[in-house]
Amino acid sequence: MKEAELLVIGAGPGGLAAAVEAARAGAKVTLLDENPQPGGQIYRQLPAGFRLTDPKALGRDFPRGQKLLAEFAQVRERVEYLDEALIWGVFQDSEVAFQRGQNSHSLRYRKLIVSVGAYERPVPFPGWTLPGVLTAGGAQRLVKIQRVLPGEKILLAGTGPLLLALANQIVDAGGQVAAIVEAGRIENWWRLARGAWGQWPLVADAWHYYRGIRQARIPLLRGHIITAARGDGQVAEAVVAEADRQWRPRPGTARIFRVDTVCLGYGFVPSVELTRLAQCDHRYDPQRGGWIPVRNEAMETSVPGVYAAGDCTGVAGSLVAVEEGRIAGIGAAQSLGYLSAAEAHPRLEACRRRRAGLLRLRQVLDEISMPRPGLYELAQDDTIVCRCEEITLGEIKKALREGPTDMNEIKRMTRMGMGACQGRMCAAALQEIMAREKGVPPAELGFLNPRPPVKPVPLPVLAGHQALE
Amino acid sequence: MINRRVEKGVARGREFEIEVDGEKLRAHEGETIAAVMLAAGRRTFRQTGLRQQARGYYCGIGLCHECMMVVNGVPNTRTCQTLATPGCRVETQEGPGKLEVAF
Repeated sequence: MKEAELLVIGAGPGGLAAAVEAARAGAKVTLLDENPQPGGQIYRQLPAGFRLTDPKALGRDFPRGQKLLAEFAQVRERVEYLDEALIWGVFQDSEVAFQRGQNSHSLRYRKLIVSVGAYERPVPFPGWTLPGVLTAGGAQRLVKIQRVLPGEKILLAGTGPLLLALANQIVDAGGQVAAIVEAGRIENWWRLARGAWGQWPLVADAWHYYRGIRQARIPLLRGHIITAARGDGQVAEAVVAEADRQWRPRPGTARIFRVDTVCLGYGFVPSVELTRLAQCDHRYDPQRGGWIPVRNEAMETSVPGVYAAGDCTGVAGSLVAVEEGRIAGIGAAQSLGYLSAAEAHPRLEACRRRRAGLLRLRQVLDEISMPRPGLYELAQDDTIVCRCEEITLGEIKKALREGPTDMNEIKRMTRMGMGACQGRMCAAALQEIMAREKGVPPAELGFLNPRPPVKPVPLPVLAGHQALE
Repeated sequence: MINRRVEKGVARGREFEIEVDGEKLRAHEGETIAAVMLAAGRRTFRQTGLRQQARGYYCGIGLCHECMMVVNGVPNTRTCQTLATPGCRVETQEGPGKLEVAF
C-alpha cells in the first residue's frame, strides 16, 4: 500500500497552514480534502463560473484567506493534493480510507495531521426542523459564496460573534434582518477589554460589525433566547423571550417576530470522528465545544505521530487554527528529520506567542457564549432531537427510564445517531439531555462510537475499494 | 417569480435551466442545486419517511443530510454539495428514496 510521508486531512485554515510549513521544510505532504477548492468553510472561495467584482462582498475574513491560499500556492507543486476526497475511515496500521468520485481508496501514513474543523452545535427546540430554520454557518456560506439570500425576513438567534458578522453580510447583500437574539450577556466589560487588548484586527472586526448593525437599525437583544419557530410547512414566526443567567426563558416575556427565516448559531462542536478512529484520547470540555482530543504543546495527540490542529481540537476560530496548523506542520517536519530543533524553535515560538494572545480573547468570548443549562430545556416531549431517525425527546425520556448508562446504549435502544448524519446533529444535545435526566456529569456518559464509514458512501463504491499502490 | 440572488459583488457564470419536480428553474454555472432551490424560494427539499415532515436546507456543509433530493434518478444526493448542471432533473425525496437499478 502507498505510504504518505505526511498526510494532512483537511484544507481549511489549519490543514493549509500545516501543509505549507511542512512542505517548505521539505517534507513530502499529501493533502486530502472534501471540497473542490482549498480554503475549508471560512476561507471558501467562489465557485468556478463566478467572478468577483468587489472583494468587500466576501467579508472581512476573505483577505486573510487569500493570504494563506497564496502561501499554499507557493508550495502547491510539491504537495500531493487530492481534492473532493471524502474521508470515511481511519484503521489500524495507520490506514486512511476515502472516496473520490466513484472510487474508494486507502493509503498509509508515517505522520498524520488531522484538521477537519467543526460544525454548528445542534440545539433542539420546538420548530427547529421546519424548512426556513438553518444554521448561521449554512446561511453564511449561502450568502457569501453562492450569493443567495436564505429568505426574506431573517431572524438570527444564538450566541457569539458569528451572528454579528452574518447580520452584516445579509444587510450588505440587500437582505432584511429582523433582530439578533443573543443568549449571552457581557457581565464584565473590563475582562472583555483586557482579553481583547492587543488583538487589534479582531477588535476592528467587532467595531465594524457593531457599527453595521447600528446603521441598519437591527435590534440586538442580549440575554434573549428563541423558544420556538412556528409555521405550516415552513417558518412563519419565531417566539423570543428574555433569558435568565442560565438561559431559561422568563415567563411572561415572550414576543413574536413575523419572519420566514431563522438562522441559528450556538457555537460549534469539534469534528472528532477521525481522531476517535485513530484511537486518540479525548476529554470533555464544554467551553471548547464538547469532546476534544488531548494534545501536547506540539499539537501531537496521545498517539505518537498523530497531530490535530484547529477547531477539531476545541473550537477557537480560524486564526488560532492557522497557528496550530503551523505548529503541527513544523513539528511533523522536525520529527521526520527535515528541520533541526534549532531551526524549528524560533518559528514555533512565534506561532505559540500569537496563539496564546488569540486564546486569551477566546477564553473571555467562550465564557459569554458557553451553553447554559436552559438551552437544552427548550425541547418539548414532541420535539425531534434526532433529525435523521425522527426521534423525539419524549421517546428518549421513555428509553432512559429503562436505565441505559451510556450514550451507545441509548443509541442501540432508540437508533439515535444511526442515521445519515451519524450523530453530528444530535449527539451533543443528547449528551446534555441524558446527563440532565440522569443527574450525572455529561463526560460520564461516554460518547457515540464513530463507525466507518463516518460519512455515507454508496455500497458499489465501497465494494470496489482498492488500496493505492 | 422569486429571485433571491444577490447581484452585488459577483458576476455569475453561464445561465441555464434545471427541472425541479417538473418546474423549470433558472440556474448558473457554479450554483449548487440547493442554492438554485432557495434562490427560487423553494424550501422543502424532502419529506421524512416516518412522520411525513417537510425538511429543508439546514447545515449547508454536507453533514446533516436534510437537503437530500433525487437528482437524475439518484436518491440521497446532498444538494448543498452538488452543482446544478444544464438540464438536470431534481425531485423532492420521499422518505429514504428508491434507487432504480437496471440489471
